[in-house]
Amino acid sequence: MATRASSTHTPRAKGETLHDGFLRHAGFRWAKIAGGLSLLLVVSYALIDITPRHNGGSWYGYTLGTIGVGLILWLTALGLRKRAMTTGRWSLKAWTSAHVYLGLSLIVIGTLHTGFQFGWNVHTLAYGLMMLVILSGLYGITVYTVLPRALSSNRSEMTQGQMLDALRAIDRQLHDAAQPLAQEDAALVRMSLDQDPFGGGLWRRLTGNHRDCVTTQAHRELRRATSTRPNLGNDPLEKVDALLDRKEAMLAQLRRHLRLRALLEIWLYVHVPATFALLAALTAHIVSVFFYW
Amino acid sequence: MSAGDENTGNRAGAMAFLIRTTSFTADGRELVRSATIAKPQIRVGRSAECDIHLPDLAVTPDHARIERIDARRIAVRATGTLGFDVDGRPSQSAEIDSATGAELRFGGHRITVSRSDADEVVLSVQRTEAVSDAAEERDEHQVFSLAGTMIGKRPLAWAAVVLILLAFLAVPIASYLSRPREDTRNIYAVMKQRGPAKDVVLGDSSWSSGPLSKAHHGLEGKCESCHTQAFVSVRDSACKTCHTDVHDHARPERIAQARAEAGLGGRLLASVAHAFGKPGPGACVDCHREHEGAGPMQPTPQIFCADCHATLDSRLTDTKIGNASDFGTDHPQFRPLVMVQPGKHPRFERIALDRKPMDDSGLKFPHALHLSRTGGVARMAQRLGAEQGYGDALACKSCHTPTSDGVRFKPVDMETNCQACHSLGFETIGGVTRTLRHGQPDQVIADLRAFYRSTGPTVPIQLGGMARRRPGDYAQGKVYHAYFGAVAARPNGADAAIAAVFSKGGACYDCHTVTPPGVNSATGWTVLPVHQTMRYMQKGWFDHAAHKTEKCESCHATTTSTKATDLLLPDLKSCRECHGGEKSRSDVPSACALCHSYHMDEGAPWVSHVGSSAVGPEQKRKKPTAERAADLP
Repeated sequence: MATRASSTHTPRAKGETLHDGFLRHAGFRWAKIAGGLSLLLVVSYALIDITPRHNGGSWYGYTLGTIGVGLILWLTALGLRKRAMTTGRWSLKAWTSAHVYLGLSLIVIGTLHTGFQFGWNVHTLAYGLMMLVILSGLYGITVYTVLPRALSSNRSEMTQGQMLDALRAIDRQLHDAAQPLAQEDAALVRMSLDQDPFGGGLWRRLTGNHRDCVTTQAHRELRRATSTRPNLGNDPLEKVDALLDRKEAMLAQLRRHLRLRALLEIWLYVHVPATFALLAALTAHIVSVFFYW
Repeated sequence: MSAGDENTGNRAGAMAFLIRTTSFTADGRELVRSATIAKPQIRVGRSAECDIHLPDLAVTPDHARIERIDARRIAVRATGTLGFDVDGRPSQSAEIDSATGAELRFGGHRITVSRSDADEVVLSVQRTEAVSDAAEERDEHQVFSLAGTMIGKRPLAWAAVVLILLAFLAVPIASYLSRPREDTRNIYAVMKQRGPAKDVVLGDSSWSSGPLSKAHHGLEGKCESCHTQAFVSVRDSACKTCHTDVHDHARPERIAQARAEAGLGGRLLASVAHAFGKPGPGACVDCHREHEGAGPMQPTPQIFCADCHATLDSRLTDTKIGNASDFGTDHPQFRPLVMVQPGKHPRFERIALDRKPMDDSGLKFPHALHLSRTGGVARMAQRLGAEQGYGDALACKSCHTPTSDGVRFKPVDMETNCQACHSLGFETIGGVTRTLRHGQPDQVIADLRAFYRSTGPTVPIQLGGMARRRPGDYAQGKVYHAYFGAVAARPNGADAAIAAVFSKGGACYDCHTVTPPGVNSATGWTVLPVHQTMRYMQKGWFDHAAHKTEKCESCHATTTSTKATDLLLPDLKSCRECHGGEKSRSDVPSACALCHSYHMDEGAPWVSHVGSSAVGPEQKRKKPTAERAADLP
């Protein structure tokens, strides 16, 4: 995404589409529009003399607020729009491009609308939620630009199913290889077999911190036994040791994959619920302003 | 099961176990293998030598023994410390009636005990748990994405929406609608109800867009005191419940006529405001904006005045008020109220300072002479300095006393401010000096006649003017007789003394305008009444206390003034040395409200006490303490 497929000057045939990410869509058309809008608003904010000072309740403040709420509703509509994939002038890509850049310009519109007056009230709550949505979106764009490459290089041509199957194959071999082991060693192997490769919760997923991984622990324990003995080739513990090695490598790859996917997905868990929270806070903000008018 | 197996079972049934092992192929097909073991006792374990071989790491190599007790019953006994489950209950040994049946669990394997038709004890072995956790069936979409780890986006969104709408909308509105109706709508009544007040609207403080100003702090959280009706903007009536004596700037029809016709943008804004039910132009809230932060309410910006006053004469053609839009650039010259004709019935007129008006109080007083650092007055001040608190010469404060609020000065008083030098004493009897009565010419004449009638004057009276006095000899309480020696020697001295007092060179004449008998059909000597103006600027406000860091002379040209009729007020140019318009770069940017009050009364404009501009420059321009002290009146 976000990469221009070709910089050559060969003319495109009619109907042929050149791959162009939504960030670069139509030569940054929406970036220019949103940037121009923001600049216009910043300049007009500085030039227009509102007494006693700028706030959301002046004519200028109401104008910004109206633009802001319209924009927020339109931006939210991407959630509906994205379900209908179309091309052309009002293509989904154009829509997404506008969503990104107009969403960013909302930082300027919303902040100027506040007149830099903040407090512990529903108005600032709405502002805070809006900023949360925008910043999570900004994060989303960033990881969409950066992470897919890392994700693809980590997969090394394996699909998710293949990764899981590889792990299962190692587990089966481990299970078989551990059959001759004494109960203590067998229990260590079983610990590794019983480990949920997808367990650990959100924090583990995002940080990729698996220091207390039981497979690693089991491996370490078995190593302690095998390291002092010569490898004669007939020790079942040596085989288990080698298998645990492979399992650890496989787990590491799987976990990197899970972490990258979690980093790619987490922002939507903020962006989407915060958007709806914002719509609720915005409703409360607008109703309360006119209620105590 | 084949026929051969059954035969074997019948023969060895009494002592044999029939082992049925169930496993599944990769595509989920069930495979059952049966084997008969004709032993009274069999071994269960992970070891390959066991009769029931369980390839299960949770099972020890030699885990348990199963023994036939009789034709029906078997005994199960764990060999090591790891036990097994019988019908879900952990156990080390158990006796089982095969006819009743039971379910044994060894690690991840289940062994069901039953009895065949051929009286064999059937042990059905089946793996129930996957080899490893990873081997279990999984929904790939769930486990690889965050969906398996996080609460869903939808429940999160719903929870947030419901919570916010409840806390910030439903609760305040419900509380508002259910509040008691007998609302007093008065800040004092509202404040009385503070504490466990009944009519507090729950949660509406979260609607406040900012703290209220200092004066309205008591109304914080009492939103409904001003926002009396839902969806109706704050009206003047809400303000006037407390501010009952606020009067208008001018007659409403005059204000309507004076208000400038708005431009296209202004008309558009006005129509939008009107459509949304905002009160029309001139509402209290147009100038007095609330929720702009704690502390004093923001002063009204000058644009609210300039809207009408910038081009007032084009609409109010009969107005006498000059156009004004900015103190620094567009403000008419001051027009103080001066006394153009003194006397018993003085006549006042507002005259612009450009026309150099005279202010005739009826008094003769040369400021320059009194403030001179050389000459008789200065010598006199030096002699009396210790007693009266003068310095090397007279200063402004020697005669001018500020009012208690420091805004202006008390009228100069003969007894308090002049008599120290200008004595009216004429005779000393037993150490007490008799004094002519100031302000009562008839009494003066009577006292003088009495003086001459009673006894021959052995000591002449002291009533000379100041021109021929020697410094220090005529202070209050002393009698000077150089001049009146001759007068006293004459017969009928009283009339001459009276004439001398009221004539040029006499005590009264020096300061007052005296009319001799016969002029203007007066029967006796008359003294023109004196009026001292306390406030020249009737339409604006000037506070001397706010200017005490300045020297008097920087605004009042006293040292060059030789006549009492000189009006020593500073003009517009002089004020502009420090003051400029609201947005100017001057030392003291001054909006209209610094000096003028929209709701004009005798008092100061309310903003002059709180406006930041009144404080800032004073701090900025602070002089050394000694110098300041000397300047203080």
